[in-house]
Amino acid sequence: MNRWKYLLYLAIFIVLLTLPLYTGVYLLNVVDIILIYLSLALSWDMLLRSGQISFGMAGLFGVGGYAAVLLHLNTGVHPLFSILLGGLAAGILAWLIGTAVLQLRGMYFAIVTLALAEIFRVIVRNLPDLTGGPEGTVLPSAIFSGNSTKTYWLVLAVAVISIIASEAFRRTRIHFALTSIRNDEVVAKSSGIDVFKYLVFIFGITSAIQGLTGGAYAHIYGFVSPDGSFSVDFTLLPIAMALLGGMHSTWGPVVGAVVLGGVSEFLKLKIPYGHLMVYGLIIVVAILFFPRGIVGTLGQRFKNTHRG
Amino acid sequence: MGFPVAVLKTENLSRNFGGLAALTRVSVEFRENEILGIIGPNGAGKTTLINVIAGIYLPTDGKIFFDGKDISQLPPHKRCRLGISRTFQLVRPLPGLSLIENIMLGSLFGRGLGQKEARLKAEELCDFMGLDRVTRDISRMTSLEIKKMEIGRALAPEPTLLFLDEVMAGLNSDETREMIELVKRIHNRGITVGIVEHVMRVIRELTDRVVVLDWGELLAEGPYEEVSGDPRVITAYLGEEA
Repeated sequence: MNRWKYLLYLAIFIVLLTLPLYTGVYLLNVVDIILIYLSLALSWDMLLRSGQISFGMAGLFGVGGYAAVLLHLNTGVHPLFSILLGGLAAGILAWLIGTAVLQLRGMYFAIVTLALAEIFRVIVRNLPDLTGGPEGTVLPSAIFSGNSTKTYWLVLAVAVISIIASEAFRRTRIHFALTSIRNDEVVAKSSGIDVFKYLVFIFGITSAIQGLTGGAYAHIYGFVSPDGSFSVDFTLLPIAMALLGGMHSTWGPVVGAVVLGGVSEFLKLKIPYGHLMVYGLIIVVAILFFPRGIVGTLGQRFKNTHRG
Repeated sequence: MGFPVAVLKTENLSRNFGGLAALTRVSVEFRENEILGIIGPNGAGKTTLINVIAGIYLPTDGKIFFDGKDISQLPPHKRCRLGISRTFQLVRPLPGLSLIENIMLGSLFGRGLGQKEARLKAEELCDFMGLDRVTRDISRMTSLEIKKMEIGRALAPEPTLLFLDEVMAGLNSDETREMIELVKRIHNRGITVGIVEHVMRVIRELTDRVVVLDWGELLAEGPYEEVSGDPRVITAYLGEEA
């Protein structure tokens, strides 16, 4: 049983790896975007497992993007390396901020993260010498000179890193720590868990993933700007995807990102000016009728039929 | 016969909540391998005493010594790792984890065990407590089973001092009997037990000594037989005569 599962994963992975062989540039670009959102949705869910809701993804996504682009331009490091540094920068920044604000919980923490994205955007806009100000900064050339196959592999790598991180968190003691913190902090503390340390750690790691994703995105499109890099889309769409797919799991956000990402692209072609309304409708219906999300609902069905 | 060794000692421990003095200058001693009863009317400060000793609340004043070390300002997770464990008056199972995983939590973080060892330890504790260890949805467990699970979670870090906060509440008489025997066997493992209980029959049978709290103050201390005859204790429980 287990061996088949791994063979299946391997097969899916090989298909994904060789995807550029069978598809055109257009579809590959669509998949790129889906994978970007998939990584963000996963990182949001990973923090949610500790009970903390973040509305600050766009902020750390933008910080990662700016850090990667500016480091590449000003120090000449390889774009790939600068993307890693972008992730690192977002992670360290979140770690510092987390140390200050993670005494807050629930809605209070959520509001602080919401403010973060806006603060970063304002800072970036007002440092024209460093960041290019309101116009942003354009790279002389996009990464891999815009080669869509290599670009795809880059975002695939980011998505795989996110999936591996998420699964690692589900299989190690971190899973126990986050679940108990979410369920009952007093029990967590009384059982020997350093709640604050775990929250700062998970906030740092998930923010690093968001920064990494932002770095990749910035290099693929070859520019950063206050309104583009910190767009609220990078906060709201991943949350919608994770909710639709199913919270507190790896495959929920993955499925949600693939479904919503695919649907949104399809709708964009069919109803260019109204697709966001349909998109919103799907999310509302999903949350009303499938609060556990696609994966959660199917998982429950599966469990019930097997119980007899 | 030497002096009994105190595992944990509080000195003039006080805790206020705003204007309410939940504990006032309470000095008690938990002696090595004894069962100490903590009794008193509702609102006397019994659970607050446990919460302050376990570190959920910091004391407003006074000190706590564990193994001779001042732990008054330590955070709760560190006190757990040192060997102070507790259950909760209202059961607090973690629904995101299975029965075994709930118990594993204590050894994973309170003892620093790996997952494999923690699972073995949890299974051993299930057997010790007579708890069916088949992995089940914890929402389907009986109240006795959930209480045992909580005790298991508290035993998993291998504490030297264990607080049981009203573990008998809500159990029928057979279950109470079983729980009394379990407390005795926990005690036989060499663990010092502090037990908060309203059922005096249980206190009489289990404890070596009791402390009586009333309005946050220490009212009396001694073997149950002595203390239960103390007129101040009787007044505290039954009220002044009109």
